[in-house]
Amino acid sequence: MAIETKKLVRSFKDGAIETRVLKSVDFKVETGEFVAIMGRSGAGKSTLMYQVSLLDEPTSGEILIDGKDTAEMSVDQKTLFRLQKFGYVFQDYALLPELTAIENVALPLLMQGMNKKIAYEKATNSLTRVRLGEKLNNLPSQLSGGEQQRVSISRAIAHDPAILFADEPTANLDTESSKVVMAIFKELHQGGQTIIMVTHEDEYGAVADRVVRLSDGQIVN
Amino acid sequence: MFSKLNIRIGFYLALRQLKRSSPWTTGLIIFVMVLTFLNLVVVSGILVGLIEGSVEAQRKHFTSDVIISNLNNKSYIETSPAIIAMVKNMPEVENVTARYVSAGTLEANYKTRKETDKPNTAGAQITGIDPVDENNVTDLSKFIIEGEYLTPNDYDQVLLGYLLVKKYLPFDSPSLSGLENIKPGTKIRMDVNGIEHEVTVKGILKGKVDEIGLRAYMVDTQFRSIIGRNDNNVREIAIKLKEGADPIAVRNALILNGVNKIAKVQTYVDAQPKFLLDIKKTFALLGNMISSIGLVVASITIFIVIFINAITRRKFIGILKGIGISSQAIEISYVIQSFFYAAIGSVIGLLILYGFLQPFVAAHPIDFPFSDGILVAPFGETMLRIGLLVFATIIAGYIPARMIVQRNTLDSILGRK
Repeated sequence: MAIETKKLVRSFKDGAIETRVLKSVDFKVETGEFVAIMGRSGAGKSTLMYQVSLLDEPTSGEILIDGKDTAEMSVDQKTLFRLQKFGYVFQDYALLPELTAIENVALPLLMQGMNKKIAYEKATNSLTRVRLGEKLNNLPSQLSGGEQQRVSISRAIAHDPAILFADEPTANLDTESSKVVMAIFKELHQGGQTIIMVTHEDEYGAVADRVVRLSDGQIVN
Repeated sequence: MFSKLNIRIGFYLALRQLKRSSPWTTGLIIFVMVLTFLNLVVVSGILVGLIEGSVEAQRKHFTSDVIISNLNNKSYIETSPAIIAMVKNMPEVENVTARYVSAGTLEANYKTRKETDKPNTAGAQITGIDPVDENNVTDLSKFIIEGEYLTPNDYDQVLLGYLLVKKYLPFDSPSLSGLENIKPGTKIRMDVNGIEHEVTVKGILKGKVDEIGLRAYMVDTQFRSIIGRNDNNVREIAIKLKEGADPIAVRNALILNGVNKIAKVQTYVDAQPKFLLDIKKTFALLGNMISSIGLVVASITIFIVIFINAITRRKFIGILKGIGISSQAIEISYVIQSFFYAAIGSVIGLLILYGFLQPFVAAHPIDFPFSDGILVAPFGETMLRIGLLVFATIIAGYIPARMIVQRNTLDSILGRK
């Protein structure tokens, strides 16, 4: 699945003041690519990722998925698309606190209509893949930051998404945990997974096939 | 919205949120729901029960299940002995009591009164009864507060209702003039149809049925000869039915036999004074109004609880939407939680109501001046109120959940306004 933006603009209004965070961004990611979006704080990295991952609406411009303009999709269609085609890893893990690790991972699978047995089997496999097979029934509060992020990755990949989005996945982790997470991403990519990752750390950006640098809302390389 | 999948996911989320939420919070919400349920049912139930208690007392201690009384243009029931015999032969009938009733005047201290003194008198309905039959039907002896109950051989003796005795009058009223200086053993003069007779007070009766309070009872055989009712025609026949017998069926059977042509035939419901029915309706209305306020308060409580719950979980609601969980499934999860609170609250309320409150109040009626208040809570009406409570709660839970769920997904995830 290929994603492309054309003249993408995203601005925010605060009273009379309008701040343009993305300024006519043209950006493309091909199937199987591992792209790192990098830049300083406030450069618009996360905003660009939220746009291409259909979590937010652009102010103007186009977002094309496999050549189809996403502006034509309804809110419910986008939700369904995210469920089936995308996987998300957030900076703060974004796990549901009242669900155990396996329940967090199984939830999107159940929403896809899988029966509970199959969903739990897939969730177990996914958690085992990120080396959390022993902590299936732990609540997020019973896991370390690194473990929580691995649950988050497990949830994002359990349904074999077309694209995996990761927003600063190592920002809240110690070096050791960060390395584990990046190793998982590398392994996923080697398996053919398309990954779009926002990071401000060069060391982790270097793991990607391609680095897109943003500065002041524009791509600079 | 209510697709099978959305309901399934909503249930999955709701179950886990309830299971892993703070037990104190859950307990508090359920406690509020229990109180609301009791407010809905008990307040109106007690208000109606005040009157129902009065109606019940009227039935148990005066009219019994079916009462036959004189027509308005007659002072007695013609062919009473034949009617009594017919009634006693009916299979549904357990006991029957017949009463001779005539207006009269009672006077105390008439021997010591000076010419200039105001007579110590009271107007009364003098009632001739068979003490055994009357007690079998109306349990009259339980109202004795001074002295003793009559026996069939107690000639020249009377029982006085408390409204005929000044010291027991609940208030001073020109329409009620009780006898002064009365106690068991006191001799009083009775004047019925101009015939004077000296009798001794054997006991004083006090209950919450006015008809008993305003009557003076004496043995029927003697009273019959005083008023000259040699034909044995009585004014009232109270009929107590066997357990489970239908008063309406018995009334209709009596009407079919033509009794209604010579007397009024009424069930205890027919014989209820109109004012009681009016008060009953008014109290039911008042109860419903108070209950409605309770329902609104419960709805607001649930609204606030769910709103706070949803707003503090706004980020997680955003995440759910972000990872592709449908808004409808999230809304359903909150609706299910609201339903859970209302259902558990109602079930606990039901147990308290029928397992404790109603039997307790039945065993220890609330002592009101005019009745022994009971708690009236028919199961059908209670279920209707539960339905209302659950419905109101579900709406109150759905609205705030929808308000939060409909917000922008990314704003919710990032905590932006």
